[in-house]
Formats: sequence, structure tokens, C-alpha cells
Amino acid sequence: MNRRLTDGQFAWLLMVPGLALFGAIIAYPLVSALVTGFFEQSLVRPGRAFVGLANFADLLGGDFWPVLRNTLVFTLGATIAPFVIGYALALALNTGLPGWLRGVFLFPWVIPGVVVSFLWLWIFNANYGVLNGLLGTHVSWLGTPATAMVAVIVTKTWASFPWMMVMLLAGLQTMPKELHEAASVDGAGAIRRFRSVTVPHMRAIAGIAFLLEFIWNFQHFDTIYVLTGGGPAGATKTFAVAVYDTAFKGFDLGHATALGGLWMLLLLVLMAFYLRKENA
Amino acid sequence: MTATLSRSVPLARAPRRRRPRSRAAVWAAVAVIGFFGLAPIYWLVVTAFTPDERAFTFPPSLVPAEITFDHFTKLAENEQLFGYLVNSVVVSVVTALLSVVVSAYMAYAFSKFRYRGRKSLMHLVLASQLFPQALLLVTLYAVFSATGLLGSYAALILSFTTFTLPLCVWMLKGIFDTVPSTLMEAAAIDGASRWRTLHRIALPLAAPGLVAAGLFAFVRAWNDFIFALTLTDPDRQTLPPGLVHTYLGEFQTAWPDLMAASFVVSLPVIAAFMFLQRYLVGGLTAGAVKG
Repeated sequence: MNRRLTDGQFAWLLMVPGLALFGAIIAYPLVSALVTGFFEQSLVRPGRAFVGLANFADLLGGDFWPVLRNTLVFTLGATIAPFVIGYALALALNTGLPGWLRGVFLFPWVIPGVVVSFLWLWIFNANYGVLNGLLGTHVSWLGTPATAMVAVIVTKTWASFPWMMVMLLAGLQTMPKELHEAASVDGAGAIRRFRSVTVPHMRAIAGIAFLLEFIWNFQHFDTIYVLTGGGPAGATKTFAVAVYDTAFKGFDLGHATALGGLWMLLLLVLMAFYLRKENA
Repeated sequence: MTATLSRSVPLARAPRRRRPRSRAAVWAAVAVIGFFGLAPIYWLVVTAFTPDERAFTFPPSLVPAEITFDHFTKLAENEQLFGYLVNSVVVSVVTALLSVVVSAYMAYAFSKFRYRGRKSLMHLVLASQLFPQALLLVTLYAVFSATGLLGSYAALILSFTTFTLPLCVWMLKGIFDTVPSTLMEAAAIDGASRWRTLHRIALPLAAPGLVAAGLFAFVRAWNDFIFALTLTDPDRQTLPPGLVHTYLGEFQTAWPDLMAASFVVSLPVIAAFMFLQRYLVGGLTAGAVKG
């Protein structure tokens, strides 16, 4: 029966279910969201009015900037810290330590995101938390603007460093041992060999791992929402939390999607980098 | 920490020059990171087995003086939580099955045929996992509301299936790429249709990959928070938002109960990953699991 179709037609036929899902769940909502940014529209009342750039003007005149700042701080912190820890761990595990160690380190990454949040909520708890217990303090880590962001970054770092470790270890394992031996024979010291052999070899995979983690953190929601809900006083309110709250707590679809549009614009720049790297 | 490592590790890599000092530095790094990585898990388990009156003391005792299973028996008797569990199982299992079917067809089309638009589509699939889900959710809510799917299992299943496609498609494409084309040509010469070749030859050869893709999809659906929180009625909610509603927001959170629940919720995911370990690296480098 398929003989009448060309190969290309057959291939497209196979892709119909997948493309239909992409269209309905990703493409249409995305386009619709970008359009809604130009309207005044409520989540709970029908109807909408075109307001041009008014929503964007409102945001750029205020809310956008603290949210951008929080997002950048969170994203940089929660990407650099797991990268450094994951790299260190990958280098250590690549020296011939027993293989089960790698599996053990995966636990924080494997357990569900909300469980990670519950666990760290409990650790950071002001009254009975184990962190205060160890330090002999009674700091409300998540209730103080100055420490809340650090606490959120620590939590996300804990959940992500194993992934970094896996990615970077995969890169290290493809590095030919002869390179190090040759450099060693030529009299290169350890630091020199790390800089001149390991780092160049790892550039591609380290770049992709860093960029992917950066993009994920740029739109991360779960940990922040459960730990602080964006507070205290908006100190941890990132794009994901702000868009969600504006839409589902403020019922203001116009401002939520306008903020989302600005967010998307920044993400597109990152994505362009990612696709270029993935192609290289 | 990094500075120590970067000095010591390359040394340790050359076996003949390995010195005890560098070996110790490697172990020290592993110990420090190990404490950061595993102490919280230890604390989760300890709290889950600690009686309430001992959990709510300050400073907390780091070694359990007394062990109880009360929190787990309380979980088992909680009918509301059982409802969340059923929802989680239904949504995750159906997502896994649907995701395997849809992504296997798509991956096969990407792997075994050449046609216009193939490359751009592959990039689009890969890039789609990077779109902000909190933004998609805002308008998806309206889509599901208009189609009457809001609050149903279907809203979650369709959403999760779509979000698992990038990873599953790329993983399965990699597996179909290793199925030799000569096998398929032989089947064609024997008179098998393309449809038959796909189902009788390619899919059985890719079976382990299909299982892995299904497990990934299961885990993705099992772990999701933001969609399950927003798109479902209270009686259709899965465990992650269900646990938030059950335990957080009360005046005093029942931490030992919540840690026991966390422990139980994590078990299926941990089991899935133990099985998946060998697929992990290939799948990860092709795309992503966590968003």
C-alpha cells in the first residue's frame, strides 16, 4: 500500500503525530503568547483590547529590570557553581576511582525536583533546620533577601552538578591518554598539561554543557517557586516566576505574555549560540 | 578546590608519576563534594525515620537515636495521597507509551529517509526543548480551556509527551542510525513494504532504546511540577503539586511525614535511572532530560 508513496511522503506521514503535538503544544501557544503581549487581556474574563506597546512600555519602565537582574544572578550562579564542582569531580573520577562512585553522585540529580525543594526547605528551616543546627544560628535563610538568592542557587547547584559531572566525564573519557603522556615526556607540568591538553580537548563539550545549563536555569521554575515563591520582597523573582505569577495569580495575561516576549527574545540569542555549537 | 584539582589530577593521570600527595588531593576533593552531594540525602532518610518529637528539637541530633516507621504507615493510610499516586501512575505510564510510539516514528523518518526540510525540522525539534515552558503554559491554559481538556489527564499527557519528544527522538534516531541499511534493503527485495520493514525489522532491533526512551518519558511526567500544578483539577493532580498542597502552607509543616513521602516518590525514579545508566551519557549529549 505504501509503494505508491515516495520515500519523502512516507517519512512525512511518520512525522504527522509528532508534528501535530509540536504544533498544538509548542508552536501555537508560543505564537499566541507573543501576540497576546500586545493586548490587554484577563485570564478569567473573556474579550481583549489591543493596546499596542503599552504592556512593554509598562514593563520596561519598571518590573522588567529587577526580574532581569534576579534571573541573571540566579542563572550565572546556578550555572558556574555546578560547572566548577562537576568539572572538579569529573577530573577526580577520571583518575581511575571505582565506577560505583559515579553512580552514587547521580542521586541528587535523579530525585524529583520537588523533592529537592522539600529537602532543602527543611535543611534551611529557620527553627529546626540542620544548617542552623550545624552553625548554631537561627537565620531565616529563605526569608532574608540577602541570603534567599544564595540559598536558591545552592539548592539548584546541588541538583545540577551531577549532570555536569556526567557530561564532562564523558568528554574526559574520549581524551587519548597518549596526549598527556607525550606532554609529560616533553616536560610539561600538571598545570601546563591541564591548560594545554585537557582544556582544549574539552572546549566543545564543556561549552555545550555550560550553555545548556545556562539556558535551563534562565527559565527554571520549580526550585525557586517551591523554596521562596519569588520572595522575600521579590528578591528571587526570576522571569519564570514573574510570568507565572502575573498570569495565574494576577490574571493579567497581557503583561504576563509581554514579559514572556522579552524573556523569549533573550532566550533566542542563547539558542542561536546553542544551535551553532551543536552543529559544529 | 578547583585549583587543587587542576594541579593534582593530570599528575594522577600518568600512572608512573603518580605520587601519594596527588592521590590524597583527589580523594579530598571527592570527599568534600561527596559531603555536599550526599549529606542532604542522608538527612532526608534520617528525618523520614525520626519520630516527630525528636525532629522538632534544636539543635537536631545528626544521628538517629530512635527509629520509627510511623510516617510511612501514615502515608499508606492517607487516601488523598493515594489518589495523587494513582494520577501520577496513570499520567506517567500513558505518557511513556505515547511518547515511545510518536518519537519512534519521527526518529525513523529522520534516520532512514532523506527529504527536503529534514535538517531544519531536526533542529526545530532540538530547539523546542529550550522554549520557556512557563510562557507556553500561559496560553496552553487557554487552549485546553477552549477544548474542554483543562483539568483532565489528557492535558497533562499531551503536554508531557510533547516535551519528551526532543530527547526521545534524538536518542532513537541515534539507535536507528546503527541499524544497517542493508538489512532494510534485503527486506525490500524480499517484498516487504516500508511499513512492514519498520515494524518487523527496525523496531525490534531498537527495542532496548525504546524501553530507555519510555523510561525517560515516564520520569519526565513523574517529576513535572509546573504543568501538573496548573492544568489539573485537584482530583486529577499528580504527586508533586499534590505533596505541595498537602504539606506546605500549613502553619507547621510535618517535615518527617514530608520526608517520608519524598523518599517514596523518589523510589520509582531511582529505579528507572539505575536501569538507564548506560543510556545516560549518549542521551544527554544529544539533548536534555531536565528542564
